Amino acid sequence: MAIPPRPSPNPSSLSVKESKGFSHLRQLLLAPEQTELERLKNRLDHYILEPQDVSRVLPDAIRLRAKQDSRLLSSMIPITQEALSLSIKQSPQLISDSIAPILGPAIRKAIARAMRGMVQSLNQTLEYSMSWRGLQWRWEAIRTGKSFAEVVLLHTLRFRVEQVFLIHRKTGLLLNHVVAEGVSGQGEEVISGMLTAIQDFVRDSFGQKQDDGLESLRIGDLTVWIEQGSGAILAGVIRGAPPMELREVFQETLETIHAQFSELLQSFQGNATAFEETRLPLEDCLQAQFEKKSKGLPLAFWIVLGLLILGLGIWAFQARSDQQRWAQLLERIGQEPGLVVTSVQEEGPQTIFYGLRDPLATNPVQILSDFGYSSEQVIFRLEPFMDLTQEFMHKRAMIQLPPPSSVEFDWEGTTLVLKGEAPHSWVQKAQLLGPLLPGVTHIETGQLDDTDVKQFETLKDKLESKTIAFGVGESSISQNQRSALKDISQTIQALDQTAIVLGISPRIHIQGYTSPDGGKELNENLSVRRAKAVLNELAKGQYQASRGMAEGMGPEALLALSSSDKAVSQGRHVAFRVVLAQSNLIKSHR
Amino acid sequence: MKSQVVIQKKICMLGGFSVGKTSLVKRFVTGQFSEKYHTTIGVKIDQKSQCVDGTEMLLVLWDVYGEDDFQKVRASYLQGSAGYLLVVDGTRKETVEVARRLHALAVQSMGPVPYALVINKRDLRESLQVDPEMYEDLASNACLVLQSSAKTGEGVELAFAELAKHLLKV
Repeated sequence: MAIPPRPSPNPSSLSVKESKGFSHLRQLLLAPEQTELERLKNRLDHYILEPQDVSRVLPDAIRLRAKQDSRLLSSMIPITQEALSLSIKQSPQLISDSIAPILGPAIRKAIARAMRGMVQSLNQTLEYSMSWRGLQWRWEAIRTGKSFAEVVLLHTLRFRVEQVFLIHRKTGLLLNHVVAEGVSGQGEEVISGMLTAIQDFVRDSFGQKQDDGLESLRIGDLTVWIEQGSGAILAGVIRGAPPMELREVFQETLETIHAQFSELLQSFQGNATAFEETRLPLEDCLQAQFEKKSKGLPLAFWIVLGLLILGLGIWAFQARSDQQRWAQLLERIGQEPGLVVTSVQEEGPQTIFYGLRDPLATNPVQILSDFGYSSEQVIFRLEPFMDLTQEFMHKRAMIQLPPPSSVEFDWEGTTLVLKGEAPHSWVQKAQLLGPLLPGVTHIETGQLDDTDVKQFETLKDKLESKTIAFGVGESSISQNQRSALKDISQTIQALDQTAIVLGISPRIHIQGYTSPDGGKELNENLSVRRAKAVLNELAKGQYQASRGMAEGMGPEALLALSSSDKAVSQGRHVAFRVVLAQSNLIKSHR
Repeated sequence: MKSQVVIQKKICMLGGFSVGKTSLVKRFVTGQFSEKYHTTIGVKIDQKSQCVDGTEMLLVLWDVYGEDDFQKVRASYLQGSAGYLLVVDGTRKETVEVARRLHALAVQSMGPVPYALVINKRDLRESLQVDPEMYEDLASNACLVLQSSAKTGEGVELAFAELAKHLLKV
């Protein structure tokens, strides 16, 4: 049933009374709503956004907007970059502390991997560079224009993972890609897409389930192993024949990546930046294995090797004993007194020692024979020199001053100390030549007795103890005293001979004495006569009277005598005195 | 390590047999055109970098074989596409119907994603058979509808660039 349209109230047609009544009625009916409406209108007209209101909805708002599209992200990029840049400028330490725990292990791992690769490659190149096979490969490298390392790699490689792709399963877009050193990857995004397309094609063609997929592709020497994950696919391009364990490595890597990046894999919209962090685990998949050396070797090899080792052993033993012998010779020559080796040179089959040698040192050629070397093998070119060690000063002194057996040489530093007794001629020579010996600064003769001086003194003492006695008032020599005078004459002869050795000319004073009895003049004449009588008597023998002197001493010197002989004790006698014109000389000999 | 953020997007080329999908891709990627015809078997994948509003994009182009009576396009190829180019041969009206079927397949397998409707072979003006009314339904949801020529290059850059721009907004 159609409802007739309600006539709209026309204000112009209403009377003022009616209008007032309507207004009143409206007020009665709608007063609370009217007030509320006005309050709301007022609030909307004067709406001010409170920070508290925004803070309540901000997190959810951001989350919702981010889900919607990437515009919020795009707008935040410049602000975030600027904030980060400012933060680094203001407090670099904070940033450094924050990223150090992440960067440190990553850098260490990367360095270790690089070092491992380098060492392996170096080892291989070294190992094969000198062998016959190595030479063949070198020829192959020249022929084919490849690098030697590349040829070695191709021949010794069991397998090597050259590239690893991490592909987003749903879109086929590349999440990350790593290549082994020396391998150039190109068009990886396209390869990634094609691998996905091939997978889809195979799966569709054979009606397999979504979870199934192509596991392996083979093209010539290259194998592509594909591991399926719920969010991503890992594909490894391998040269050679990979072992099954490698699959486990791939699987574990993919599982790790899934565990770590599951949310990112779910929400992936084409920005693969976050997946840069998968580089390290993916690089762990870049494994390689090279040919091991064969274990079994032919018997002939072992025999040859054995003989070689035996020969080497003998040679080494001989070389060792030769070396030892030579070392001993060197040591001996080094220790030999009076020899100084300044250099040793090898000239052809000969070894030449250059240096210095004291003429008194052992001839080194004699040492050679002790060690089994001949003077043809080893030659000495030694210049003469004076060794001033005590040993050589001693040797030199023994030669220059050959001492009598009664003399000993002793040393106090550079002073030569002479001990014992020696004839006057040797003592003189020692005093003259001793200080001229190289290295000797003094000659000490305090402990050296001159035997000739000693004998002279003895004879002098003996002569001076002798007396010839006379009778009262007599000046002739009695028969009895003549024999005593003979003995005195011999003593004088011996004294003269010793004086000749000593180079001195002693005079003998023959002193006549009298008793105090009688007059002075008489006594003086008597004493002179007695002295002359003795001199004349001596001159009868071999004694030259000119060398003696007869002196009359009178009775004065009587007191000096004390003798058992009565004549002597009473003063009637002749005594002897030896007087040296050069007494100093004798003293200095002592 | 990539220094700049690059957004990758998968784009499918969809259309009937011999509508010029491969030529459009070749013109876009290499700037070349060849009169020689090659049938695409399976999928051919190409890529092209594109800078859109300061964002570096890598367009991974899946040139899917042309659908005909003997060969239907597999839905699995379309999975994960961020968008697609629906190509119609302006000189063969039956290709509109093929495009319609493929569009339905695309919506079914990947949901409503941006697409550009491209009426190709604009250089063959005398032979043009396809009128806008014929593809009105397809054009209504497309983010871009344009006439192109892989031979002259007309509209090719624009088609990809506009689609890329839309993909970035999504």
